[in-house]
Amino acid sequence: MATEDKKPETDTKPPVVPSASASQSKSAPAKPNYSLKFTLAGHTKAVSSVKFSPSGEWLASSSADKLIKIWGAYDGKFEKTISGHKLGISDVAWSSDSNLLVSASDDKTLKIWDVNSGKCLKTLKGHSNYVFCCNFNPQSNLIVSGSFDESVRIWDVKTGKCLKTLPAHSDPVSAVHFNRDGSLIVSSSYDGLCRIWDTASGQCLKTLIGKSSYLSVNLKKSKSHVQHLNSCIQKAKLLWIYFLCLKTYTGHKNEKYCIFANFSVTGGKWIVSGSEDNMVYIWNLQTKEIVQKLQGHTDVVISTACHPTENIIASAALENDKTIKLWKSDC
Amino acid sequence: MYRGDKDLQTSARKMGTSLLFQLSAYERELDLVFLDHSYAKPWNAHPDASSARPTRTLFVTPRRQAETLSDSESLIDVETVTPTPIPLYDNQKALSVMKECERHVLFARTAADGPPPPDDWEEHINKTGWSVTQNKLFNKVVKALQAERLARLANENASNEPILRRIAVDKCARKVRHALASVNWETKLTQWLHTTMIESLSLSMLAAYLDVLQTLKSKLPTLIDRMLLPSAKTGAPSAEALSLLLKRPWDPAVGVLSQNKPCKLPGSPLILIAPSFPTNPALSTSRRMRFWQSQLSCLGKVIPVHTHVNSGANIGITQCLEHMLGTVRAKVMEVHSHFPHKPIILVGWNAGALIACHVSLMEYLTAVVCLGFPLLTVNGPRGDVDDPLLDMKTPVLFVVGQNALQCTTDGMEEFREKLRADNSLVVVGGADDNLRINSAKMKSEGLTQTMVDRCVQDEIADFLSGVLTRAEGHSHGSGEMRDLDTEKKKRPRRELPFEMERGRPSSPALRVSISPSGSEKSSLITATQLLKTHMQRSGTVLTHKQAQAQFAAFMKQNMLVRKNLPPGTPCIFVPVTSDQIEGLDRDDLRPHGKRRQTPSPTPSKASKRAKIKVTIVSQSESAGGAINPAEVGVSGKPLTVAVGQTVPGAKELSGLLTSPRSGSLSEVSGALSPGSSSFSSGQPCMVSVSSTPAQVQAPATAQAPSASSLLQGLSFSLQEIVTKAPNLPSPATSTGSTQAVCGKSQDPVLSSVGPSGGTLLRTVPVVTAGGVSKTTAIHQLLTNGGLAKLASSLPGLAHITNQTAGMCRTAKTRRPR
Repeated sequence: MATEDKKPETDTKPPVVPSASASQSKSAPAKPNYSLKFTLAGHTKAVSSVKFSPSGEWLASSSADKLIKIWGAYDGKFEKTISGHKLGISDVAWSSDSNLLVSASDDKTLKIWDVNSGKCLKTLKGHSNYVFCCNFNPQSNLIVSGSFDESVRIWDVKTGKCLKTLPAHSDPVSAVHFNRDGSLIVSSSYDGLCRIWDTASGQCLKTLIGKSSYLSVNLKKSKSHVQHLNSCIQKAKLLWIYFLCLKTYTGHKNEKYCIFANFSVTGGKWIVSGSEDNMVYIWNLQTKEIVQKLQGHTDVVISTACHPTENIIASAALENDKTIKLWKSDC
Repeated sequence: MYRGDKDLQTSARKMGTSLLFQLSAYERELDLVFLDHSYAKPWNAHPDASSARPTRTLFVTPRRQAETLSDSESLIDVETVTPTPIPLYDNQKALSVMKECERHVLFARTAADGPPPPDDWEEHINKTGWSVTQNKLFNKVVKALQAERLARLANENASNEPILRRIAVDKCARKVRHALASVNWETKLTQWLHTTMIESLSLSMLAAYLDVLQTLKSKLPTLIDRMLLPSAKTGAPSAEALSLLLKRPWDPAVGVLSQNKPCKLPGSPLILIAPSFPTNPALSTSRRMRFWQSQLSCLGKVIPVHTHVNSGANIGITQCLEHMLGTVRAKVMEVHSHFPHKPIILVGWNAGALIACHVSLMEYLTAVVCLGFPLLTVNGPRGDVDDPLLDMKTPVLFVVGQNALQCTTDGMEEFREKLRADNSLVVVGGADDNLRINSAKMKSEGLTQTMVDRCVQDEIADFLSGVLTRAEGHSHGSGEMRDLDTEKKKRPRRELPFEMERGRPSSPALRVSISPSGSEKSSLITATQLLKTHMQRSGTVLTHKQAQAQFAAFMKQNMLVRKNLPPGTPCIFVPVTSDQIEGLDRDDLRPHGKRRQTPSPTPSKASKRAKIKVTIVSQSESAGGAINPAEVGVSGKPLTVAVGQTVPGAKELSGLLTSPRSGSLSEVSGALSPGSSSFSSGQPCMVSVSSTPAQVQAPATAQAPSASSLLQGLSFSLQEIVTKAPNLPSPATSTGSTQAVCGKSQDPVLSSVGPSGGTLLRTVPVVTAGGVSKTTAIHQLLTNGGLAKLASSLPGLAHITNQTAGMCRTAKTRRPR
């Protein structure tokens, strides 16, 4: 859907009303009560990314130890290890049907894995530097990847061929994401820009300029327009609706690493992010207040993930910790 | 909000004549206001207001108020998903046509090629021996295909996927065309490229490639054909299937358009399309223009005007324009003289629109439709005080693109204000000078060009039907025209001109005139249909000039013969001498038959005295030999008429006459009656040709002396006769009946009346009735003589008398001509 030019304008008002009524009727919880349920140990080096499968059944984690591990999302039970990359893995992502995984590695390749067999189906070669981030589109026929070579590439899942290279940024690309219907790609970079691309043509539609480098971008798939969350190195997370900077979430510590930020919508509406003070921060989406801090990790919490249906948060920490923790809440 | 929406939809339905009308109905606030407050007059209703009617917009995105910046405290909805809009076309059908190429991708490959290339086909291509240009060309095309693949994947499962795909394919086709143009479409290279592509592309890429070929084929048929030549030669069945696949590009809106054709306009107008540039007969018109023509032909009869300017001729633009103007004008006059009662509408694109406007200043037109009006000129916008266009009186519709370079919406409004003629303006959102919308618009609104065109056509139909009904209403109110007009409405539209032989001696030489190449003043009476065919085709029985001459003569004589027979059945009345009849049965049919269709054998056994010969030639191709030509010989001598029929001819004739289409019968009589009423002797005369031979025969013979005297100088006119062979009952009983009618009494009359009535031309109405009661009525008429009786005793025929009266008036008013 390329209605991006029109939609945001028409839709700005309605969003306020339903969510307000929803919060009234459900009397939205003021605070979540996340508590540690499981600690998953197994990676031998820093964990770089954790992701729940869209089916809600699995949790995948990637690590600097070149491995991908699959865990049970509800019980934290170790399921399998997937190996094949020659260097550490920076990011991992699920396809919509939860059957495929794509991983981005420092060996300049991406690999598409069959989750059931654990076999590598395709190796996507083309980047000239570390591949840093990757994602499937909702149809799961395309993969987008961002790299330290400052480009964003779009890949054909079926053939493993690079269909398009976007000369996206002038610094390493820190995060890439598709919007809900796959018509747009959002990329963020150390160069302080966040760009929105038309998937079909590869044209840049918009450039967002922040105060500092964007290190993470996460699109919450709502409406037909983009809502995405940028975590910024200056201790602030910015929520944008298309090109309007809507909200800024502050309080945590984020100076060095590209820390993932997430929407949590299963219970209350939260923003979840790791922090360099070894804690997981949870903000109220609407009021921007910090509603909870999760303590337990012993190193920088670099990645967090929210379960698609349950009030579960997964968090992963770096070198000194190497563990993944599952948190649960009633709301 | 919601109620309003629903209201809007229902009102749109009320207003809307078609589904497509509704597509653009959301922006029709004006209409909505009008519906809610129907008592209110439109703003231009005031007599002092200009004749410009409110602008209508199609797909113009309404300007919305600037967003109030949402502050950081407002709540954000992160859950609600906007429902995907329902496409305006049949999505199922669109998807299926969209995937046509994918489904049939194997057509492109012959079985001998072995297993299809793998997904990583590119690495397997042996590029050794490729020249630089070959490499370049190949890479360009592959790159284009890859971009198409990306778009294809990205758009998968999108709510408006077919349209997005169409846009992507068009874009890719454009790129491939560029690539091929960069090598000047060198046959060797393009053929090499095609073979390589077919051999090496993976299936999914090949599907995209076929899509591209399909698109380009419709734009550059010859170049693509040349490109495909080698593959067409090799694999026979697959190549055939491939050429079928490539025949025309798919369109997402395919179903919608075929199901929602525009409706016929009232008054069956003639739509002339003015050319916007000199046309080259060698080049085929674009696909879009063909689509326009076919759609407009649903509104009325479309007559494209072509201006051929020899490319060798060194003429300036002014001359060329003058030439075009002259051609259009001549065409308008010609059409007007052929169909004096039909409204003529002139349609033109761009420069053609201007030509249409200028022609409207010189010739009488019912309406002008300007598509993409070039308002801006080098000397500024049109509409200066001395602009002749401001003197236009003809109602005019302007359709302009919102993004047109040669025209601005505001400028149009200003121009319209000064225009004296009744005028309307339709603005097509996001469209250019040629009313083509851009791909962004297509994407965002889920439209295709054909859908937009279709909506514009709806607007045109809307405007024209308004103009036409007003024109009709107007003429109703104005005295003398009234009769003619009501006449026109009552009667079927087509008229059969006919002409009689005048003062020509009955000689064998007449046979010459029967032949199509006959140089004498035509003794053939043709139907309107025939004239029409002449206008379009050459090589038929009459040359154009002959037809025109006939028509002129016909006008002079004020003989209007009506018919309501289906088109495609011209009938030719061939006067012959009685002694020639038998020979003619065969001889004369042959030339016609050759030209039109083989007539079935015509046994002449029963036509001993046949003197009127009517050749009915069917033009319907399917009819084959199913229709027997009916032959009635008309004597060449002006004052002698004998009626005779060959056996099959009689069958045919009576069959036609007795066929349930009583309307046609009444038409015949009605049409012929003016002749009889203007008859010098003042005796109305009717010869009945009936299916029941006995009944007719009796009166006919009884009346023989008077009837025969009335028949002096008679030219017998019969209508174009129903072609529909299967519909024709052919009662054998009637065989020879007509023959009997006149046969006995004719011969003596021929000689006796001959010298005295030489200058008189007479028409004898032929009334045939299917039922017994009608026959008796005619009987009565024949014995008592008098149309009034006929009218009173036969209510069904009552209007014939009226018509007759009308016709008489027509005859009178027209006489001075």
